[in-house]
Amino acid sequence: MKTWRRLTIPYLVWGTVMLLLPMLLIVFYSLIQPGNEVTTFRVTLANFIRFFTDKDFLLILVRSLTIALKTTLLCLVIGYPIAYWISRCSARMQNVLIMMITLPMWINMLVRTYAWIGILSEGGPLSIVLGWFGIHTEILYTETAVLIGMVYNFLPYMILQIHTSLTKMDPSLVEAANDLGASPFQTFWRVIFPLSLPGVISGVTLVFLPAISAFFIPKLLGGGSWFLIGNVIENQFITVGEWNFGSAISVIMAMVMMLLMTLVRKADRKGAKGGKA
Amino acid sequence: MENEKKKLIQFRNIQKSFDDQIILKGINLDIYENEFVTLLGPSGCGKTTLLRILGGFLDQDEGEILVDNQDITKLPPYKRELNTVFQKYALFPNMNVYENIAFGLRIKKVSNDIIEQKVMRMLKLIGLEGYEKREITQLSGGQQQRVAIARALVNEPNVLLLDEPLGALDLKMRKEMQYELKRIQQEVGITFIFVTHDQEEALTMSDKIVVMKEGEIQQVGSPVEIYNEPANAYVANFIGESNIIPGRMIRDELVRFDETDFECVDKGFRPNEPVDVVIRPEDIYIVPNGQGKLSGTVESVLFKGMLNEAIIETVPGTHVTVNMHITSESANQNDDGHIHISGNSFYLDKEDMEGIEEKDLIARADAQAWNDETDELISIEKVETDLKPELGIYSITFTTVGGLSITKTIQVIDQQVVRNTKKNEGVSAFDFFKSKEEIEESIALDTDLKTWADAQGWKLDNEDEAINLTVTYDFDPENIGPGVYPITFWTTGREFKVHTTKNIQEGSEVGLDFAPEDIHVMEKEDFIS
Repeated sequence: MKTWRRLTIPYLVWGTVMLLLPMLLIVFYSLIQPGNEVTTFRVTLANFIRFFTDKDFLLILVRSLTIALKTTLLCLVIGYPIAYWISRCSARMQNVLIMMITLPMWINMLVRTYAWIGILSEGGPLSIVLGWFGIHTEILYTETAVLIGMVYNFLPYMILQIHTSLTKMDPSLVEAANDLGASPFQTFWRVIFPLSLPGVISGVTLVFLPAISAFFIPKLLGGGSWFLIGNVIENQFITVGEWNFGSAISVIMAMVMMLLMTLVRKADRKGAKGGKA
Repeated sequence: MENEKKKLIQFRNIQKSFDDQIILKGINLDIYENEFVTLLGPSGCGKTTLLRILGGFLDQDEGEILVDNQDITKLPPYKRELNTVFQKYALFPNMNVYENIAFGLRIKKVSNDIIEQKVMRMLKLIGLEGYEKREITQLSGGQQQRVAIARALVNEPNVLLLDEPLGALDLKMRKEMQYELKRIQQEVGITFIFVTHDQEEALTMSDKIVVMKEGEIQQVGSPVEIYNEPANAYVANFIGESNIIPGRMIRDELVRFDETDFECVDKGFRPNEPVDVVIRPEDIYIVPNGQGKLSGTVESVLFKGMLNEAIIETVPGTHVTVNMHITSESANQNDDGHIHISGNSFYLDKEDMEGIEEKDLIARADAQAWNDETDELISIEKVETDLKPELGIYSITFTTVGGLSITKTIQVIDQQVVRNTKKNEGVSAFDFFKSKEEIEESIALDTDLKTWADAQGWKLDNEDEAINLTVTYDFDPENIGPGVYPITFWTTGREFKVHTTKNIQEGSEVGLDFAPEDIHVMEKEDFIS
């Protein structure tokens, strides 16, 4: 046993250097004053104070949370029926459909998002179709465009999670509910949906986390007008060069996510109470 | 009594197939009020399919189901007034015991106080008072089973369907639940339709047993009727243990098997009709040798707790012993560089001489030629022999294209056939020659020995009906030297399984006695197919 354990050392080293160290560095940067002399740093909370006292930054944070929530909700509302429908198909059909869901993920996310610019832009296919119905509206560089991009990119994660939890369910439970007099509708709300909650929760997590920190989708589809927290961080590091402030925002984001995750997990435990089959 | 009862469920010509496989071949069955009915049969006999069609989870291809004289074919499961206990219980894992049992009532929007009353009464019925707050995962298999029964019964159905509900329980728990289920059925007084493959379970609990096989009903009757008067050998074999003997009906109340006539109580067969005779092991009594209706040798005795299970051979099997001549390989093989030829001397029955061809001779001698470099077989071009259809010893020479040859002998003999008229069997086999390498290389020696010796068994009254032979020998196939070895081909005799409380010795001679009413004669049925 002991000799085998030594084999984990490379992984520990890798983990420390590539994961733990950068995170510690970000926390460290967020707590010091700007300047190049790392050896003579001075600790300060000014970066955090700056964020929380600037209305614009707070607005962006709220906007990011809102759009992430909207994305998650849309993914759930669109994804659940799709996942449910797939889970009712024959095993062979399910494989085909799941492959079709995952197929776009083989192409780089950036490329797919660029494609949406073409679809949504003025004179693009969507505006032509809408024009037939007499609707003339600009979609690209609006919140709608950002939402479309986000839902499109993150929907597969939701569908896959929910589909997995639905197919894991014992089909005789549905038969039992029917047998006890529950109509298909009652069976769904009293048995199927509660038992698929673990899948819903992990789907929500998998969509919400990348949605809140997304930066190139709002950048490409929202133009300059739809600035989200991810864009602010990117800006601070790349354009402005204020690493300390950028680090502070990253730490704040990490905290927010951690808080939300804890809440979700608590809800999960409550919802799944006794739900572990 | 039967007429007073009301028909509750009527299956009318129910047919069902999956893909191309026919599962149900037209089931007609009436089920009455307050009955404990068991559908009994091996897996794949269609019993679960029939239950699922009744529950509404499958649609039949043909036929109809009447409940209270109403056709329910088009009703979805949630509108059928019957409830099911599923094989693996199918309790809702997101609800506790109370909510599981209350499920059906909540769907019907029954008020909370009535739900509580009914659930509590159910918990009492199944003996799980105080368990209402438990999670399903905290229950043992037997307890989950009871909850599943309560969850179904709380809806006060007219019929409860149970799909092998005891299959997942251990033996002790299963016995306990058998009594429990019977008690519950008698207490609530509704019809239970119970599916099982366990004949003992069926005998213990049922008022009526429906024995099924390959989508057809074989027999419907009370446990006593089914046990004592099985409709055919299949039912007799499936329910309890049986000795099944092929026989012939001489006339009413007289049956012949193993060349002896026995009085029985069955009638209505054609004279000389072939029949199956069933005698239960517990209906046969061991008596001193010479006193019973049959006598035989005790082959084995197994202690089974309450009683001994003895196997008694009343008619010995048929034995033929032949000699196997083992030669060293070089005697059977000639070489020319890389080319080899081999063959064996063999015996031939005079009766088989007519129409014998070269290829038969090659096969009997097992003559082969091959090239050891390319590992290819070489055809044998010429077979020369002075063989005549008379008794005697002849020489035979096999030659390849290249001119390499081997010469062996053929002995034409009058073959001995052992005829066992009492068992209606004939068995024959030849002496044969083999090299030790051929024995060592054989991967299925018993089969090869039968081929080499041309061992055959058949029915004396029907030569086309082959009988399986068993082979015994007492050499070590891994380590055999040149010499002569006896090999015996034999059939098993007539063996009776007897349940007795007497202590009898293996190898002793005993008599067997049984009453005419314990001989059950039934129509011949091929139950292997």
